[in-house]
Amino acid sequence: MKLKQELKKKKHDFIKKWFRATIDTYSPDAARILGKDSNRFDNPIGAITNETCEDVFNHILEDFTQVTLEKKLDPIIRIRAVQAFSASEAVSFVYALKRIGNDLLDESLGREFDRLVDNIALASFNRFMKCREEIFLLKATESKRRIHRAFERAGLVAELSEEDLLGSKKS
Amino acid sequence: MSNDIKSDELLNKIDFSPKYDKGSGNWMDTTKSVQIRPGMYCYAAKAESVEMLGLPNARPWNPLEEDWKLPDNWQEIIFNGLKERLEKFRTFKVFMDICVRCGACADKCHFFLGTGDPKNMPVLRAELLRSVYRNDFSTAAKILSKIPGGKKLAGARPMTMSVLKEWWYYFFQCTECRRCSVFCPYGIDTAEITMMAREIFNLLGLNIDWIATPVSNCYQTGNHLGIQPHAFKDMLEFFVEDIEDVTGVNCTPQFQKKGADILFITPSGDVFADPGTYTCQGYLILFQYLKEKYGLDITWSTYASEGGNFGSFTSHETMKRLNAKMYAEARRLGVKWILGGECGHMWRVINQYMDTMNGPADFLEVPKSPITGTIFENAASTKMVHITEFTADLIKHGKLELDKSRNANRIMTFHDSCNTSRGMGLLDEPRYIIENVCDNFYEMPPNTIREQTFCCGSGSGLNAGENMELRMAGALPRANAVKYVHEKFGVNTLGTICAIDRAALTTLCEYWVPDVEVYGIHELVGNALILPGEKERDEDLRFEPLPGKEEK
Repeated sequence: MKLKQELKKKKHDFIKKWFRATIDTYSPDAARILGKDSNRFDNPIGAITNETCEDVFNHILEDFTQVTLEKKLDPIIRIRAVQAFSASEAVSFVYALKRIGNDLLDESLGREFDRLVDNIALASFNRFMKCREEIFLLKATESKRRIHRAFERAGLVAELSEEDLLGSKKS
Repeated sequence: MSNDIKSDELLNKIDFSPKYDKGSGNWMDTTKSVQIRPGMYCYAAKAESVEMLGLPNARPWNPLEEDWKLPDNWQEIIFNGLKERLEKFRTFKVFMDICVRCGACADKCHFFLGTGDPKNMPVLRAELLRSVYRNDFSTAAKILSKIPGGKKLAGARPMTMSVLKEWWYYFFQCTECRRCSVFCPYGIDTAEITMMAREIFNLLGLNIDWIATPVSNCYQTGNHLGIQPHAFKDMLEFFVEDIEDVTGVNCTPQFQKKGADILFITPSGDVFADPGTYTCQGYLILFQYLKEKYGLDITWSTYASEGGNFGSFTSHETMKRLNAKMYAEARRLGVKWILGGECGHMWRVINQYMDTMNGPADFLEVPKSPITGTIFENAASTKMVHITEFTADLIKHGKLELDKSRNANRIMTFHDSCNTSRGMGLLDEPRYIIENVCDNFYEMPPNTIREQTFCCGSGSGLNAGENMELRMAGALPRANAVKYVHEKFGVNTLGTICAIDRAALTTLCEYWVPDVEVYGIHELVGNALILPGEKERDEDLRFEPLPGKEEK
């Protein structure tokens, strides 16, 4: 309880520093632009990163589950999953919180806070994998959906449909 | 005296280079070769496709391998290729010289905004080429290079294999959408710089397959997918059956009819790729309606079976070749003018390049709607009218009977395609149609539509599967705006007038905004239009129940 009270008290500092640390994972020239507080449609990475940091932080102040946490992390992870980050780089921004916690929190709360951050990290890794799987699925199904299905409908190709193969069409 | 700074030391202290990548000194240092990352690049062109087009250096090669199998004199080929284009195209020369690096374009590119990679800032992407231009062609830079530190000041670098690989990687991370050019105070069209870079690649056999094979198909068979005339006809006949199931009306089109009033040409994606196929059915319904009511005489052609022109992503010569066949077919059939389907880059080619490549099309008439009498002055020279102009004019004159309620479940927003909005100023006609066939229409924020529209991230031949990460990153700014109207107004339908968009935005939505579906504008027209003699419709063209007809 004490940890949450402390976090609540220092919320703005945490969010500000976390946002900065996350944006600084981009190259300095990009970070200069992405870190600006500009119109959210002119700077989607900056805006979404900022909003997600805030949302996730507010969320950990409440009762949360890994499932709800994962959902809150989605917007930021979804972006990082398609950028030039390795898997560890993509979720590394979560660990920046430990460093920030070190600076802002009393030492006695350090271990509890680290455990909290570990939970966020695990949730973000789950979400990262889901996003990557979605990308692979899109790669696998897009061309089929786009062209093959039209041919199938027209009866120009005769193959077992996906539904047949999956057994969802019971005769 | 020993403390005085000498002039060359002073010059060398000026750091004009961007600040990132300090590890290797500055951005022009390509001693460490660019890392070509899977997911961000498209596969190399197949040798057969390059050969079919008679383009140079057809051979199998792989961008990830060190040896790109280039001819020994590749540097000379690039030098001569640049020289020829600088002399031939005044714009290219001017664009190489006048950039002052003000940075207005830097944060306007969807690829920069989505990838966060500084080399996707239009200024820096163009600088990749400009730096070589300065080294080899600019007089001012040559003079500067003679003074101490001057080479750095001029921002010049020699053409090396690493530079070429960097060019290739980043000029295939530009969709030629021209959003950056809207913000450039000098009007530099970065898309044309990308086009020049891609022309140079083609001199060395460095095209990507998603462009080269469609171009080769189109050259041989008439469309990008290489579909032969009988299959093209089969598909349209199949649509006729589907439409008959939904409406009870037979909408059989005419093919290759000599002496018809109008030739209709649409991108082949409308005929073969979902969800464009439903847009295609919309065209068939519209033409049937106009034939019944007003005697419209319009023909399709299985020879001019492609409106798109991937030649424009290859070289101006290839673009010209593919464009010519549409006009050749119009001449052969003896039609009065050409009506074009919902497409993007097809219209950029028609509006900006056709006239000086294959035009003026004097053997055709200035397009005049046979139904309303409207003369399409904007197409007076190209003789080709966009179908949304044609349909909007019909609606304006009260010539169409429309039942909006059939689209009542569509809560719409509209994505302006880069080429139709920035390439030809087609902004209001599609919106006018949407408002006449749907009740619910919400615009995305003003800095993401009309002239400032964000690209789908898959244009200019980059709609392949292997570069999905690049496409999804590039799609972020567009998706961000779609998501906003989805959450704020409950938008569930993204309308568009481009075949690439219909395919690309569908995938974009699946990743970023899964509850939004993509529709062509004429699919909505097809649903709303009341055909003479039709049965009571229960389903839309996708065989989904119409609003109010859902099973209880």
